[in-house]
Parts: sequence; structure tokens; C-alpha cells
Amino acid sequence: MRDGKIVVRALSKTYRVPERAPGLGASLKSLVRKEYREVPAVRGLTFTIEPGEMVGFIGPNGAGKTTTLKMLAGLLHPGGGTAQVAGFTPWERSPAYLRRIAMVLGNKSQLMWDIPALDTFRVLGEMYGVPPAVQRETVAELTELLDLQGLLQRPVRNLSLGERMKCELVAALLHRPAVLFLDEPTLGLDVSMQRRLRRFIASYNRRSGATVILTSHYMADVAELCERVLLIHQGLLLYDGPLAALKAQLAPFKLIRVTTTGGLNGGQGLPATAHVVARENGKLTVRVPRGETAAVTATLLRTLPVVDLAVEDPPLEAVIDQVYQEGMSQ
Amino acid sequence: MSNVRGGQALIRHTWLSWMQHRSFFFLLAFGWMIPPLIYLFVWATAAGGGTAGGMTRGEFVTYYLVLIVVNQLTYAQTNWTVGDLIREGSMSRLLLLPLSPLYNTLATEIAGKVVYMSFVLPVTALLALWLRPALALDGWQLLAFLPALLLAWLLRFFWGYWLALLAFWATRADALLALQDSLIFLLAGQVAPVALLPGALQVAAKALPFRYMIAFPVEVLTGALTPAEVGLGFAVQGGWLVVALALYRLLWSRGVQQYTAVGG
Repeated sequence: MRDGKIVVRALSKTYRVPERAPGLGASLKSLVRKEYREVPAVRGLTFTIEPGEMVGFIGPNGAGKTTTLKMLAGLLHPGGGTAQVAGFTPWERSPAYLRRIAMVLGNKSQLMWDIPALDTFRVLGEMYGVPPAVQRETVAELTELLDLQGLLQRPVRNLSLGERMKCELVAALLHRPAVLFLDEPTLGLDVSMQRRLRRFIASYNRRSGATVILTSHYMADVAELCERVLLIHQGLLLYDGPLAALKAQLAPFKLIRVTTTGGLNGGQGLPATAHVVARENGKLTVRVPRGETAAVTATLLRTLPVVDLAVEDPPLEAVIDQVYQEGMSQ
Repeated sequence: MSNVRGGQALIRHTWLSWMQHRSFFFLLAFGWMIPPLIYLFVWATAAGGGTAGGMTRGEFVTYYLVLIVVNQLTYAQTNWTVGDLIREGSMSRLLLLPLSPLYNTLATEIAGKVVYMSFVLPVTALLALWLRPALALDGWQLLAFLPALLLAWLLRFFWGYWLALLAFWATRADALLALQDSLIFLLAGQVAPVALLPGALQVAAKALPFRYMIAFPVEVLTGALTPAEVGLGFAVQGGWLVVALALYRLLWSRGVQQYTAVGG
């Protein structure tokens, strides 16, 4: 419905940070002459996101995710490269551009603390030039979807973290942005609140056709919401594609867990590529290359008194952690 | 920026937000009234039954009571919080909105004035009943007072604002605000009416911007100035306001560039 296309070419950003050795001497020296160190945060990112797509940025702390997001939201000037979001250059910060985007920062609040959220919504509605009738309609709709009945009349400071986050989302969506940047929207929320917010974001994306970029450290957020992920590490784009393919590429093996009636003496005849990860109390865990899963499962069933058998993917967190620690091998 | 409706809504709601804490702001306002009150009593006592520096006891009372109100109306308390917004990175939140962050600050200013006045005006009225000021009000004095007051507020606000914007480059720019407050205390007619300051100090007070933030409108209203002096005062006041606005615009555009270069 809207043109929320994002085109990024060779985007980069280097921070200049003051640096000095500890101690009084160094402190005095830095008074006279400050020394700076160049810290590259984003190094030549190139990608395109189509209108209505929902994309997850993943990567460890300090990977450059938030820096990228801030450049796209017009909060940071890049060091180099270009970006077009909904047809605008973000860092020119034209009011017309700012009216087309919204950014939710999990650790910063957009709401006024001392007055009910409904009052903040009205201010924001006026600022964004949303007609009152549309404001009322949007608030009613979002209230229904997020289960906020009865909470909007309370001062924001009296709301719980989860309730406040829901109000933040309403505040961000009031002007129906074409592009939505979500930076750690589920930070600090409990599991069931995370799931509800996720469901809401997914349905909002479907219904409104807004482009959504999400960063999160909760892999469940990304796994559930984003078909496409961009893996950023040390400012470089390491992977751009479906999450499932990333997993297959990073972890080209499966885990087979079997529970037996007791004896674990079987299991001979497994191919050399199958690796026994754990063996205790009648339980056996074997790691096998994906292509050999069926054959190894058959061997295990044939040679062991199996009562239960499960074939699993390694946990996503473990896979991602491996990249964070070692980088991509490919 | 033409987003007037947004600005109005912001002011209205900032005020609502402030009314939640009115007792705190009443206490603040009370604190700000104390120094001028002390000088009121010092000078009134000095004048006794006669005069001090050519002013009678009743004239001192009038001067300081008007000064209390003018000081409150022109005090730009947001100057102290702009630096915090920049240092703590909260400016990012404001920069995301399609409305200049100046509106946010102005909203707080105007909301604050209304809250403070709901305390200061009744208290000053009570003090007037008790201390019996001597005020012979001319129509033209009142007429000249209103623009002088408005310009005084704008000057004090933007002068402090450009100082506060130095926080884009220096972490503790608010030290300069403390210096400004000291200069205002000395040169803007708080310690003594400017006319009673010793020679060199009086010349400095009339040339620098600080007198035009408080003392000038007070002098206009209390009839301490000739029409020629009022005219000259407006010229100096307007001149300094132009300087303050130019510095604000320059530092704001450079500052936002700097802010978005280093990240909030």
C-alpha cells in the first residue's frame, strides 16, 4: 500500500572516540591534547528491502545494528555510502520523511510519564497532523489489538513495563508510518508478553503493508517474525537471506536423541561422520550431517532397544553464538 | 516550522503534566523569591524614613515586588535541561519527531510560567498588601512594559539556550549557565537597582545583555526611566536579542550535525 522501500549502498560509519590511559598523568596530558581512536562501526553495508517486508537485523552487541538503524532513521550521519528510505535520504531529516517513519527504542520512552498515554497520543496525533477522527479510529483499533482497555487513562508511570511497551507501539503507529524501525522492542519483557507483542507486530505488518526492520537479542523474536535476516558482525554484512537457510548453512547437522530401555551397547555400525555428543542413563545424543539423518536413525532403531527418538535442529542460540564467537566459516 | 497545531497540543499537555507536580514547582518558585525579598528588606531598611540612592522605602518595595514577578516570568529554567537531553542521548527521541525540538522546550517554558504564576502572583499580592508599595502608574509605562517584558523573556531564554547548546561539544556546558546566573544576579538589578551600582559597573550593566533580561522592564514599569532612556533600552534589548537568535540558529544547526555525527 505504501512505498516503504529501503535501498542501502556501501553504507559506513566510523566513530571517533576520545581515548586516554588510566591515571592522573594521562588525565592531565589529555587536557592539553586529546587523543582519538577511529572505531569502525559499520563497514560498507549494501542491501535492499522491499515495501512491506519484515527483516531482522541480528548480530552480537556492538555489531553495528543500532548504528545502521539510526542512520536509516535520520539520527546519524553516515561516514560514507548512500541510503534511500521511502524515497528520502534519511539524514536530511525532512519533516515529510519523519512523518513516514517511526522508531521504537526498547530502552527509551516516547511517552510523557505524568499524564495518561491517551493524552500523549493526542499530542503526537497533532504533531503528525493526523485528523482527530482518524486518530480516534487508530487508537481504538490498536487498543483492541493490544488489549489496552482501561490502561490508557492511567498516568504512564503507573503502568508495568509490558503495558508501557504496548503504549509505545501505539504511539509509534498512530501516524501509520510506511517504515517502522524496532530496536529491541521486547527488551526486559516476560515470555508471554514477548509473544503477544510479536503476534501484534506480525499482524500489523500484514495488515498495514508497512516495512519493518527489527533488531533483537531474543532469537525467538527474529525466528517468529522475520523470514529474512541480515546477520551483521563487526560492521560487515555476513549473511542476507532466509533464517532457515542460515541455520542450514551454519549448522549443517542435526541432533538425534534416543531413549532406550537400558542398554547402550548397541549403536555400533554408525557411520564415522556421526558423532556421539552425550551418553548417560540410557539416553544417547548423536550429531549427524543433515544428509545422513535417515540412515543413522535407521541404524539406531535397528541396533538399540529404542523407546523414544527425536530428531532436532541444534538450538538457534547455539548456532548464532558460534558465529558471534568465531565468525562465519564460509 | 509551520506545525503550529502540534506545538499548541504539546504546550497544553506539558502543562497538564506539570500540574501533577505543582507543589514541587511552588516550592521552587518560593526558593526563587527569597533573594529579591532579602534585598527588598535590606534596601527598605536602608531607606528608612528618608531615601537611599534617591529612592524611598515605598519605591524600593515597588521595585522589588515587580522584580519578583518579572524574574519569575523571564526565568528560563529549561536552559538547564537542554544540556541533559543532549548528554543523555534523549535528544534522539525529539529528533525523531517532525517538529523542531525547540517547540518541546518552549512548551515546557510556557507550561512552567502558568504553574509558577499561579503561586507567585497571589503571594506577591499578599506582600503588596502588607508592605504598601508606592506606585504611580502611567498609561504609557504599562504600554511599554509589556513588550519590554516579552523581549526580556525571549532574550533570557535564547541567551541561555545558545549557552546550553554548547553541550553538543562540551560535556559540562552548564557551568556557563551558572556564570550567567551570577552575572544576572549582579548586573540585572537584583542586588541593587542598576542606577545604584557604582560607575564602571553601571556602565557595564547598561551595555551587557543581562540588565535587559530583568531590570529593564521593571524600570520601565516603575517609571525610573525617561522616554529617551526607554527608547535606547529597547534598541539595546532588541540588538542583543538578534545576537542571541543568530547564535542559537548557528549553534543549533552545527550542533545537530555534530550530534548526528557522533551518535546520541
